[in-house]
Formats: sequence, structure tokens, C-alpha cells
Amino acid sequence: MERSIIHLNIADFGVAVERLEDNSLKGRPLILAPPNVRGLVYDMSEEAYREGVRKGMPIKRARRLCRAATLLSPRPERYLLAMDTVIKTARHYTPLVERSSGDGHLFLDVTGTHRLFGPAPDIGWRIRKSIRHDLGFEPIWSVAPSKLVAKVASRLVKPVGEYIVSAGEEQDFLSPLPLSILPGLNRSDLLRLREFNLRSIMQTASLSMQQLSIICGSKSYFLYQAVRGIDPSPILPPANKRDSILFHHHFAGDTNDDQTVRAALSGLVEQAGHNLREQGLGTCRLVVELEYSDTFRLARHAASKTALHDNMNLNRLAITALYRGWRRRIRLRRISLSCHRLVRPARQLSLFSQTNQHQQKQEKLCAALDQIQHKFGANRVKRGIQLIN
Amino acid sequence: MSKILLGVHSHYSLMRGTAGVQAICRQASTLGYTHIALTDRNNLYGLWPFLNACKSEKIRPIIGAEITDQKNGIRAFCLVKNSSGYSTLCQLLSTRHLDKNFNLKAVLPEYSRGLCIMTDNSALLELWHDQGLEVIAALACKPDKKSFQLRELAKKRGIMSVVVADSYFLRPAGHKLHQLLRAIDTNTTFSRLAPSECVSRDHWLTAPADFAKRFTIWPEAINNASHIARQCTFDGPDFGLVLPPYKNISTLEANQELKEKAFQGARSRYGDKLEQKVVSRLEHELKVIGDMGFSTYFLVVHDIVRPVSRTCGRGSGAASLVAYCLRITNVCPVKHKLYFARFLNPGRQDAPDIDIDFAWDERDAIIKMVLEKYGEHAAMVCNHVCLKPRMAIRETAKVFGLPDDEIGRVSKRLPWFRSGPDKNNLLDTLKKMPELRDVDFDKPWPEIIQLSERLAGTPRYLSVHPGGVVITPEPIANYVPIERAKKGVPIIQWEKDATEEAGLVKIDLLGNRSLGVIRDAISQLQANGHLLDENKWEPEDDKSTQIEVAAGNTMGCFYIESPAMRLLQKKARQGDFEHLVIHSSIIRPAANEFIREYVRRLRGGAWQALHQELDGVLDDTFGIMVYQEDVSRVAVKFGFSDVDADRLRKIMSKKDKWKKLADYKEQFFAGARAKKVEQETTEKIWQMMMSFDGYSFCKPHSASYAKVSFQAAFLKTHYPAEFMAAVISNQGGFYSTFAYVSETKRLGVRVLAPDVNKSSIAWHGKDRCLRVGLMAVKHLSSQTMTNIVARQQEKPFVSLQDFLGRVKPDEEEARSLVHGGALDSLIAQSKPRQVSNRAQMLYQLANWQKRKHLPYKNELFANQAVMPDFPPESLLARLRNEYRSLGFLCTHHPISLFHKERERSHGIAAKDITHYVGKQISFLGWLITAKIVGTKSGEAMEFLTFEDETGQVECTLFPKIYRRHCHLLHRRGPLLLKGIVEDDFGALTLTVERARAVQRV
Repeated sequence: MERSIIHLNIADFGVAVERLEDNSLKGRPLILAPPNVRGLVYDMSEEAYREGVRKGMPIKRARRLCRAATLLSPRPERYLLAMDTVIKTARHYTPLVERSSGDGHLFLDVTGTHRLFGPAPDIGWRIRKSIRHDLGFEPIWSVAPSKLVAKVASRLVKPVGEYIVSAGEEQDFLSPLPLSILPGLNRSDLLRLREFNLRSIMQTASLSMQQLSIICGSKSYFLYQAVRGIDPSPILPPANKRDSILFHHHFAGDTNDDQTVRAALSGLVEQAGHNLREQGLGTCRLVVELEYSDTFRLARHAASKTALHDNMNLNRLAITALYRGWRRRIRLRRISLSCHRLVRPARQLSLFSQTNQHQQKQEKLCAALDQIQHKFGANRVKRGIQLIN
Repeated sequence: MSKILLGVHSHYSLMRGTAGVQAICRQASTLGYTHIALTDRNNLYGLWPFLNACKSEKIRPIIGAEITDQKNGIRAFCLVKNSSGYSTLCQLLSTRHLDKNFNLKAVLPEYSRGLCIMTDNSALLELWHDQGLEVIAALACKPDKKSFQLRELAKKRGIMSVVVADSYFLRPAGHKLHQLLRAIDTNTTFSRLAPSECVSRDHWLTAPADFAKRFTIWPEAINNASHIARQCTFDGPDFGLVLPPYKNISTLEANQELKEKAFQGARSRYGDKLEQKVVSRLEHELKVIGDMGFSTYFLVVHDIVRPVSRTCGRGSGAASLVAYCLRITNVCPVKHKLYFARFLNPGRQDAPDIDIDFAWDERDAIIKMVLEKYGEHAAMVCNHVCLKPRMAIRETAKVFGLPDDEIGRVSKRLPWFRSGPDKNNLLDTLKKMPELRDVDFDKPWPEIIQLSERLAGTPRYLSVHPGGVVITPEPIANYVPIERAKKGVPIIQWEKDATEEAGLVKIDLLGNRSLGVIRDAISQLQANGHLLDENKWEPEDDKSTQIEVAAGNTMGCFYIESPAMRLLQKKARQGDFEHLVIHSSIIRPAANEFIREYVRRLRGGAWQALHQELDGVLDDTFGIMVYQEDVSRVAVKFGFSDVDADRLRKIMSKKDKWKKLADYKEQFFAGARAKKVEQETTEKIWQMMMSFDGYSFCKPHSASYAKVSFQAAFLKTHYPAEFMAAVISNQGGFYSTFAYVSETKRLGVRVLAPDVNKSSIAWHGKDRCLRVGLMAVKHLSSQTMTNIVARQQEKPFVSLQDFLGRVKPDEEEARSLVHGGALDSLIAQSKPRQVSNRAQMLYQLANWQKRKHLPYKNELFANQAVMPDFPPESLLARLRNEYRSLGFLCTHHPISLFHKERERSHGIAAKDITHYVGKQISFLGWLITAKIVGTKSGEAMEFLTFEDETGQVECTLFPKIYRRHCHLLHRRGPLLLKGIVEDDFGALTLTVERARAVQRV
């Protein structure tokens, strides 16, 4: 059966959200980046893009390129919420909605909904209308028989518009386009193909599978299908089950100071501990991920035989994981802590009465902390290490 | 009453101590100390600076070292009592460095003669005391638990205890710097620096009163120091002049042997019948050499040089006929009027200075041979490698945890640091530099810069001096501690100035690329059937060579290929040997204005001597000081003694000269006043002498170099293909391969693409064709190159398959060969009429690569896929790949690809520049080389050489323009320059007013 895939793209999603909330930002260059001086650009508006600003560029450089730009701190949680409402709108038409990589991209599988909502392009129009009306975004959309072709189509019409590719037209649609428009090919793939003077999709499509396999090795099967518009990959709605808890800390200025980092980690441990105890869970595996100033990332874990949920033990485990990974001198930009192997019930009662007094004390302390947090909010009581600096 | 300071560490306690020796001695003297014992960690690196500093600060030195055991960190301080103690200490330190299993506890008792031994370790104290050693308990820094226990033990056994400062920094604030050094050394950050890695805050150099207060409870431990001071009266070794020994023969025998060898050599140089002037000069020289006791030295050098085909003696030794006859040098001092008296003079007791250049690739073997021959009597001189400002910034920033690219943005773009002390602080200076315009110095940069400024100049490790070898009559470890450099050779712990100060005579065996170039060019042209009898070869007398030298067409020729030198040649229009000797010497960093004046006078400008006292002294060089010895000759005229004048000359080339120079300046001005010379004139003469700051040549040295320059220029004039092949193959010339390839084309030589069937590893020249060598192809390992040449000799490659099958290159190598065009001929062979399409070759390569990994090699199943019809290759893409693979283009100049841009902007060709003198032009140029210089006011400006397919243009960017455009000069690709053509004595330059980058084609 022919599939109908809709690709919906709200360009520069973070910027779009910010502009919804503050009308005065419209039509002017806008850069989203964390407020610390050594931060990197998170996202930018079309106007800033045209001045040369790119994602991941140091803020200082971005500012120099585009002095007129307004600088805002990114709010990923806010964008996530906004995305949720967009998804909700899309769900009216199909349960098969996939949140694609990056913010602002959605795939909808509307195969077989003809009877309910009419042909796929009609759905496209309707979604666009309702998103525009209800949420105020201006999405690009495209319809095609596969995710790949749909994505190429919306890349083609960026920054505004729509494009419909019917079944059977895929190859004609792709043929004249350059290879660089295909999703899934990186820079080195393109350079490799260019060595063989292959620049357009049509040129590449003339090669047999065997010939391609000589040129591109493991990527040849993907490429063989892609240049013909074949992409059988299904739409994958996100799984609901939560199997881990994750917290981040961005350092105000990058740091390699031992105490500052341990203080930040202990803050994360407290958040995680509170969260675990709220849900009556314990964790057997902590992962500490470090992101350095030069964007290098590294994660190390530490595991415990019994499930943990009190701050002291969690902290001990987290510090083990931290020093397993923290070897470089380069400053840290961000540290994150995630809890895995969540176990319920958190606690196994001892058969004998000689429970560790120390342990009991800790649990009482945690309970008290949790109560304070309930009553007065987070971060009212801190550990000593967090007060240094 | 004497105040004695023991256990001081200077920055020669590498990456631990923070202060220099001079600063320490000054501080100690200011604080009122009368004696100071410098005990650096396992070395005597700073011995000579220390002795000098003590002299100037009027404080008594005690020589010593701290010896540690690398396994457990225990240590002992060893102080020298007398001269036998000094050689014991040298031997002990040498053992510490050379013996991998050095065990302090066991070894030290063997080396205790003449040493005063102190330790802060109770176990060592007990053991050594038991063994009957006279050992002292060292109470380090302050009375704490450790020193309390040590003192108790000492008291019980009746051992003397003494207070040792154990200082690592001058003031308490130095602790941060100490921590920084430790963090750099152990590759960590401040917050994670282990406490055991550094000393506590108290280890600074405090005043005698403070120590007395600290140790009020043990006053006798303070007073005991004077007991040590009474014992250690040794105030520095005095070896006299230490010359290398020759076969253990007596002085008389050596004189006789030298005489025989010299006359034998003379006959081979001049023929069997020697002219009287040669004979009498030889005899005079031999007498002087014999009287001064240098015969063995000459014989040793002769021994080293004898087995080598090609050398170039440098330094003042080239003025010696004996050296010429022994083939140590190659310029005939009789023919070129070089005076022996300037080399050796019975009035001075200086070491003779003969430095010898060898072909760069033969030198290591020669040094190895010398070291093997003399065994423990020979070692190389070392360099104390110090943290340069750039490196200091880099290392400090790493401790602060900044990522590499951010550090690079600052450190790579620091163009140069002004010499001499800078009044402003470094951060402000950096902020003002145009190159760093777009860098923000926000936190933590100010702290990094401030710390690194204090860090700069700290020694970090020892490296090997490029060629200095010391050979001594006794084992060398009796004179100076030796250690082993990373690459395995033994080195002494002193750098060259200290070595000279100690009286150890070093022989410099240096590497010289151009000797390799000349050797290779000659062997190539001989292989091509041209004859060149080197014994009768007098290139400086060849007319056509002289014409080329006078025109400055000397790219690739030794020492005269830089843009500055070629411009000077163009202005001077002289191509004879005598002038080239002057020019090679006058080209000095600090002599620009005198070069201008020289050219003016040479071209007929009027001049008179600086003062009538100097009439006749500088007439050969139009009244301008050109050679090093001119400084002493002028000084003598102003009342300097010969010895002082010579010292003045020597000091000019030293680093920390300013203090001594100030004394000489006073003496010079006083002498001038006595001769009734006007202040203004004296000032002028002094300024000219100061232009010898940095490096400068003496005349014999310059003549030696000019000889090599002429050999190169001769080869270039007559055998350009062979010569340029040798220049490029030997690498390391002043210019890039790219620039030499362009020059080759301008000489009318065809550049042929590399070819696996025709190329060898090196470039090859024959009959005005230059075949690119395999070494030019990027990514090609030397193993694969050797392999290609070996297989090619067996039988030629007939197809790509054949090549891949027999050579088995890895993928990157093969691709590089394809793009470099080295495999084109294989396609042409198998399909004669087909234009080679590199995509097809790459396809075959990929196919081969893939099949290589298949488990079965059965040809039956290896049916190949049909070759696809790849789209045609664009010329531009092809050239771009060729450039990536080779770094130059064989048939095109990259500038020609931008011809549209050149037409659009009405750019002229380089060869037509002569028609535009004084006019404004546009020129599209490719950057060849650049040199940043500082103007008098300290601003940066730049001299650049650009070229297009027709020739080169020398360009000047004055400070204002430089500031505006310096960011462009780092990028690749052509620049469009606009400016005015200026004529300076016939040399044309472009004064740039505007520059911009050109879009990619």
C-alpha cells in the first residue's frame, strides 16, 4: 500500500517560540545563546543566519558578525512544551507522529486516513491552518510517499511553502537535485562522491548497486535507495515509559575547579535524590556526563549492588563516576547526572533488627529535606560545599 | 658576623624553583647574607651565572647541589669543600643521571670525598653516620615535627644540626608561580595539584632575622652554618684552557706532525711547487699555533674533517692558511686577503674558534663517530631550553583549562615580542596588537597573561646544542656533570656561554643544507654526463655566474636567496666575490639604515670617514662597519686595549649584554672625549657599533659562506634543472617547494609530473626538465616510496592493477598518487587514446581495496563490476586535487586560474612592473614569503613577496596598512594588491595601499 507521509517543519523553532511570546522580536535578528561569556550559539533567526551566524559558534564571534542581534538565553524546556502542543494538534489526524531530530520537525504517517480526513494534502493544509491559528507558527509542510522524500521536499521550499510529491514521482522529483540535499549524507560522504565527479542525484542514480558498493562501502545500500527515493523506514512515535532520570547543570563560567564541580554535582544529586524518593524509586547505576569547553563529551558510570535513594550514598557513587571520567585539564561547560536501573520498591527491609544507625539517620535527614522542599520549594537548604564561592 | 644561607633553589631546579640566579643573589645580599649556597636539584646548570652573580653582588658562593633518589624522593644536600670535592660532585651528579638504578643510600658514601653532606632524612642520617660518614642533619625551612625528630636523633648521636632554608621562591607571593610550574610539569590544574608535588608557602627566601626568630628554640642550628662556611671555601673551578688531546703525544711531536700535514696539504692545494709567500705564511702560522699550544686542537679537527667529502669552515678560522691546507676551510686566505692575526694573536689567550659545517644529512653520523672515538672524554654542549613568552602563555592557559583552539587564537597570532624590557604590562601590549584585534581578553586571560609574564624565561629542560662537542684530556665528568639527552647522546650540563667561561674548548660541528644541495647537484650532473673537476673549480671567477649574482637571480643559492639579500644585490649590481663577502655580512637584522647608506656610497654617493681617527680603517667598505672585527678595530682607535676591544666585539652577540655594554659605552665615550671627538660623532659611531646586535659575521666567515654561495650560483646558472632538483630534494630552504617550482619554470625548465615509472624518491633534473620526486606526494610513507622505486627497477609497471598488486599502497597513499598524477601514465599505456579520468582510477583502486579484504582470492569469482561512465572531470577540480596532493601545480600557476578576476580589476603582470614606476597599479599575487619587522617606534610592518606566473613582486606594508590588513595575510589564495611602484636604486617594490582577498574560482 502506498504510504503518505507528511513532514512538518517550523523553521528556527526556538526563535519562533520566543517571537510568539515577545512580538517585538519579529523581523529582527535574534540569537539564542546561554548568557555566560564563553557560551555557544544555540539557535538563531533567519536574519542572523544571513549575517553569518551559525549554530555552535562562540557568542563573541556571533555578536561581532551581527551586532544588531538581540541575545536571549535559550529555554529548552519551554521549546519542549511548545513542541508538545504542536504534536497534540498533529495527533488529531494520526497516532503515528514522530518527533524528528532537532526541534521543530515532525513526521506524520497519514496512510489510510483518507476516509476520515480526505487526501493527505488536505490534511497538510488543515494542520498548517490550525497551527497558524491556534499557535501562531508558520510551518513548512510537504507530502510524499516516504520520510526521506518528504524531508527533501521541505528542504527545497524552505523557508516558506509546501510541496507535494505523489507516489511514483519520487525519482523524477529527485533527479535534478544535488546530492547535498539528501538527508543522511555527511560532508565526508559528499567529498568522497565528488572524487568520482558525482554531484547530482541523477548522476549517482546511473550507478548499479555493485558499482556503488565499490565507491561507498557500507553506505552504498542507503545511497542506492535514497537516490531512487526509496525509504521504507517507519514512523516511530515516542515511547512513553521512563526508565531514567536526568539532570543538567550548566556552569555560569566554564570551570576546572575541583570544588566548584563537586558542588554542582552534589546539587544534581540532591535533585535526583528528591525525585527518586518522590516516586518511591531507587537507582543502581549513575551516569555522569561531562561536556568540556571544546564541546568534547564523555560519560562514565558507577554502579551499586543495592538500590540507592539517599543523598549521601548517591553522592558517593556520583563522585566515583565523576573521577572515572574527569581526566582532562580543559574546563567543564556542563555536567549532567542520570539515574538508571530504577528499582521499586526502593528499600528492602532487613530481616534482622541491626539496621545501620548511620543509614537510618541519613534517611531521616533526607525525609526532612524532602518536607522542607515541599513546603518552601527547592534549594532552601544546601550542603556546605554548595556555599563555597 | 657572617650570615649563611643554605639550600637555595633557583629556577634551575627545573619546574620547581621560580627565581633566576641573579635575582636570588641580589635578594640574599640585600637581606644581609654574606654566604649563599645554591643547591639546585641534581644539577649544576646555573654554576657560572651563580658565580658571576655572587661576584657582582659581593657575596661568597658555596657550590653544591641537592641530590634526590628518583625512587623514593629522599634527598641529600652536597656542598663542595675543595677542588677534589668539585670533581666528586660532578661525578656524583653524572652517576645520578646516567645510572637508571641510582640508589642514593648506597651510592653516596662512595662519592663523599671533599663534600660536606647534609640530609633531612633520619634513616639516611643514621645509616651514613653508622658507616662513618661525616654527615650533618639538615633542618629544612622551619621547626616542625619532622625536623624535631631529626634533631633529636642528631643530638642523641652527637651529629651536628644546621638550618637549611630550602627555598624555592623569593617572596611569599612566589608560591603561586611555584604551583603553576608544578601544575605544568605534572600536567594538571591548580585545584587538583597533589600537595606532595609542591612545597608549602613557607619555602621562600627569608631574612636572617626571620630565620633566627623561626628557630629561636634551636639557636645552635643557626650558628652551625658558619662551621660549614668555614669548611666550604671552594669558590669555583679554574681549569685554564681545556683543549682536546691528540693521541697522547707530546706538544713537540704535535707541532711536528701538524707541520708535516700542513705542508702536505699545501702541496695538494697549490701544486708541488709552493710560492714563497705561501711558505712563509705557513711557517709563521705554525709558529704561532705551536707557541700557543693549539697544535693538538688543529690535529683533532683535521681528524674529524678528513673522512668527509664536503665541509665549510666558518668563524674566524677561515683566515688561517693552515686550516685551508688541512681542508678544514675552503677559502684561500692568500687569494682573498684574510689576515691570520685576527684569528690567533699571541697577545690574547683565547680559545681558537673553528666551526665546521657538514652536509645536513651527514652530520649526525660524524658526531656519532666523534663521540664513539673519544668515549667518556667527549660530550655535547647542551641548550637550556627556556619557556618562551608564547609557550608560557600556552602552558599557563592549559593549567587554567582553556581549550586548545582558544589558546591558539591568542598564542599563534603573537607575531613577535619586542626585545628588551617592556615598560607597559604585557596584557596592554597584547590588547593593542593589530593581529589580536578580534580577541577578547576576558576572564581568566588577564590572570593567565600576568602569570605567564612572570613565567617566561624559566628553563624547562635541556636539549642538545646543534653541534658543539667538547673533548677533554681527563674524563669529562671530572670537569662538569653529564647527562644523557632524549636522543641518547651524552651532554654536559652547561650551555655554550658557560662552557666557554669554564675554559672548555668546544668544536662546533653544524649541519648545512646547502652542502647537501651542492653535493647532490654535482653528483646528478655527473650522472648526466657533465664533467666538473672540483679541484680546479673556481665558481667565483665565472662571468655568467657573476652576472646572475649581480642581478639577484639567486633563489635557492646558499645565504643569498632571501628577498632582502636579493634586493640588495639588485641595488648594488655587483656580482664579484669581494662584494658578495661584504653583502653577506652587512645583511643583519639591525643594520637596515647602514645598508641603504652603503648602497648610496657604492653607487657613487659622496662620503667621508666618520672621524679622521678612522681614516683608512674602513675604506674597503666605504667607511661603514661591516664585519664583526670592525667593531674592535674602531674601538682600538678610541683607546681600547686589544683585549677590551675583542671583548666588546664578543659581547655584542651575547644575550644578557646590556649591563656590561653600559660599562664599555662609558669607556668608549671617555676615550672619544680624550681624542677630542664631538659627542654627536661619538654617538653616531656607537650607534653603528650597536647595529651588530644579534648575530654578525667576521670577514673570514663571510668569505667562507660566499664561497658556498658562489658554488650554488654557478650550478644554478649552468645546470638549473639539476640544481633546483637538489634544492627541493634537500628541503628546508628559505622558500616553500611551491616557490621553488615557480622559480624553476621561470628558468625555462619544464616541470614534469611525478610518475611511478619514472620518478625516484628525490627530485631529478636533466636536460632542462625537472621530474617531480615521489617525496613531493603527500601522505606517501618512506617505506612505500622505497618500495615503489624497488619494484620499478625490477620491471616497469604496466597497468594500475599491476602497480597496486606489486606495491600494495594503503588507500590514502594511492589516492594521493592518483591526484598527484603519478599514475596517469599507466592509464595512457593500457588505453593509449583515452584521456585519463582520475575518477576511473579511483574506482579501480576502490575495487582493488575491496577485493583485498575478501576471504577468497580466487580470480574466477572476482568478476569485476563494469566500469561506470563517470561524469567528466572539470579542469579546476583536477587541479585543485593536484594542489592538495603536491602543494603546487606542475603545468599551471594557480594565479592563472584567477585571470578573470585579474582582468576585471585591471591587474598587471609581474614582469611588466618596470613600466609602472611611480604609478599606481593593481596586482594579483600569490604570497611566497613574509617577514614582519618592527619600526623604530615599535610598530609592526611587513615585507612580503608575492608572485604570479610571470615573476615576483616585493611588497611593503607600512604600519597603518599592516594593521588594517594583517588578518588577510594568514589565509591562503591570491590577494589583490593596490599600491604604488617605487624604484630604489633600480630595485622595484610595491608599496601596498589596499589589499583584498579574491573569491574562490
